[in-house]
Amino acid sequence: MSGRQAAGDAMPGAPRGPDAPGAAGMRLACRHVSFSYEEARAPIPAVRDVSFELRAGGSLALMGASGSGKSTLLQVVRGLDAPESGQVLLDGAAPAAAGYGALQREVGLVFQAPELQLFAATARDDVAFGPRRLGWPEERVTSAVDTALDMVGLPPARFAERHPYALSGGEQRRLALAGVLAMRPRLLLLDEPFVSLDPGTRRQLVGILQRLKAAGVTLLLATHDVDLAWALGDELLVLGEGRLVAAGPWDFSPDGGRLLAANRLREPFFVELWRRLGRDPQRAPRTADDAALALS
Amino acid sequence: MSPSPDETAPLFDISGLHYRYAGAQADALTDLDLEVHEGEFVAVVGANGSGKSTLARLLGGLERPTAARRALACGHDLLAGDGRMAARRDVGVLFQNPENQLVAQCVEDDVAFGLENLAWPATDIGRRVDEMLARFGLEELRLREPHMLSGGQKQRTALAGVIAVPRRVLVLDEPTAMLDPAGRDEVLGAVREMRAEGLAIVYITQEMDEAAGADRVVALERGTEAYAGDAGGLFADVALVRRLGLGLPAAGELALALGERGRGLPGLPLTMDELLAALGAAR
Repeated sequence: MSGRQAAGDAMPGAPRGPDAPGAAGMRLACRHVSFSYEEARAPIPAVRDVSFELRAGGSLALMGASGSGKSTLLQVVRGLDAPESGQVLLDGAAPAAAGYGALQREVGLVFQAPELQLFAATARDDVAFGPRRLGWPEERVTSAVDTALDMVGLPPARFAERHPYALSGGEQRRLALAGVLAMRPRLLLLDEPFVSLDPGTRRQLVGILQRLKAAGVTLLLATHDVDLAWALGDELLVLGEGRLVAAGPWDFSPDGGRLLAANRLREPFFVELWRRLGRDPQRAPRTADDAALALS
Repeated sequence: MSPSPDETAPLFDISGLHYRYAGAQADALTDLDLEVHEGEFVAVVGANGSGKSTLARLLGGLERPTAARRALACGHDLLAGDGRMAARRDVGVLFQNPENQLVAQCVEDDVAFGLENLAWPATDIGRRVDEMLARFGLEELRLREPHMLSGGQKQRTALAGVIAVPRRVLVLDEPTAMLDPAGRDEVLGAVREMRAEGLAIVYITQEMDEAAGADRVVALERGTEAYAGDAGGLFADVALVRRLGLGLPAAGELALALGERGRGLPGLPLTMDELLAALGAAR
């Protein structure tokens, strides 16, 4: 049983609302992490000597050109691939530490196009798959599934017994997210979660992630959408050919702008707007509502 | 039906088209009309599951319409088996998931695949492939196995393969979904160039700023046409936009948020420049 669960169990009666997963976010640190893929001709280095820290409850947008190593880094952090060299520290614990495996199970990874991995005959069984594999008692599984379905806007009364393939694409994406949230991750890794979603579903997903963030879940979000990265990421990591080329606060100075452009990125819309209005781009709003508030 | 000699005939001429998946209770597409002419860039938008990708497969001759008053692609009858075969040759389709499109052992072979099927001479294929690899920044990846590529690299490889074959019509299903901002600009640049060369382009997208740049927009709602016209007309009907699960380009969303605060702007800006002009005028 994980440390967080133990803490939760020590506090019976602690509120367990729909946003319960964020009891306490996990702290993440990567130290000199490298990983290569084996290919017939030669190994392809995908992540090279990457070091960064993400505080508990913080959020980082992970950006970089196509093929810069974003997906690979997420898989290494999740523990699906062991780094060739370097270490992934979870709450400060190194892989050799007792309890590291339990910490790894509190890291949730939402893959690219996760709906392609839906397989069960009902939405409920699909979401329950992970919690059951963790060996949770069925009562707890049921409550975790209901909570997760509610969180992603698929109320169990209407959706739990539906066949996953009978859902729309946007509903399937949210169902797949619920499957990860049901395991109550304290660190959530998301790989291009907005790709191919219609704008309405995208807005819903941004809302879900904002609520998780407010609940204290640590977020590491790989995306090439600079506007959504700016809306959700307190700070920024930029990978270029597997190396970290920027890590830390967003920087919209001329140097920062050059760095974005060199990595096939651009400034977020509201940052450009603030600059062109003669305002300080560093203080640009993150969302349309914030921008409207500032301009009213 | 043989290809029409009439230069002004639409490249897609679809009327009253229905499609229902085998075993499904309802139509995926209902009574759809679509006319696309040479040099036109038509965006197709709609919520997930509204039928956009199904439409792409039908236009490319990959499925038989369940019924249609008229279903012509480049003059080929999509209701007939040989018409669909001819449409598969003449209509370039980029699928939403590039995994479904990549077939060869390495990137350059994949880009060459369509040309080899047309039995082009090897030197011509080599020249065309080089051109495509350069256009989409794939030169250094030319010998890479497709399954080792990132999502965005796969998407660019698939697009290069589709565009490599000279055609009059393209159907692109979310061609920029996996791309970084620069890759997105490159693809949109390529689309504009091809339109200028006279290609007809049906462009499925979830990016409202991309739709805003199209000559016409068709919005689907559960398989039926909910809107057809210019982008400005669609975005001006905010209730419709919301009902369809769509949005406005960022400039438009900000204008709406200002309107909700009693700070409405003149007109509905859809681009940064229009927004700045409107903010200036409102001051």
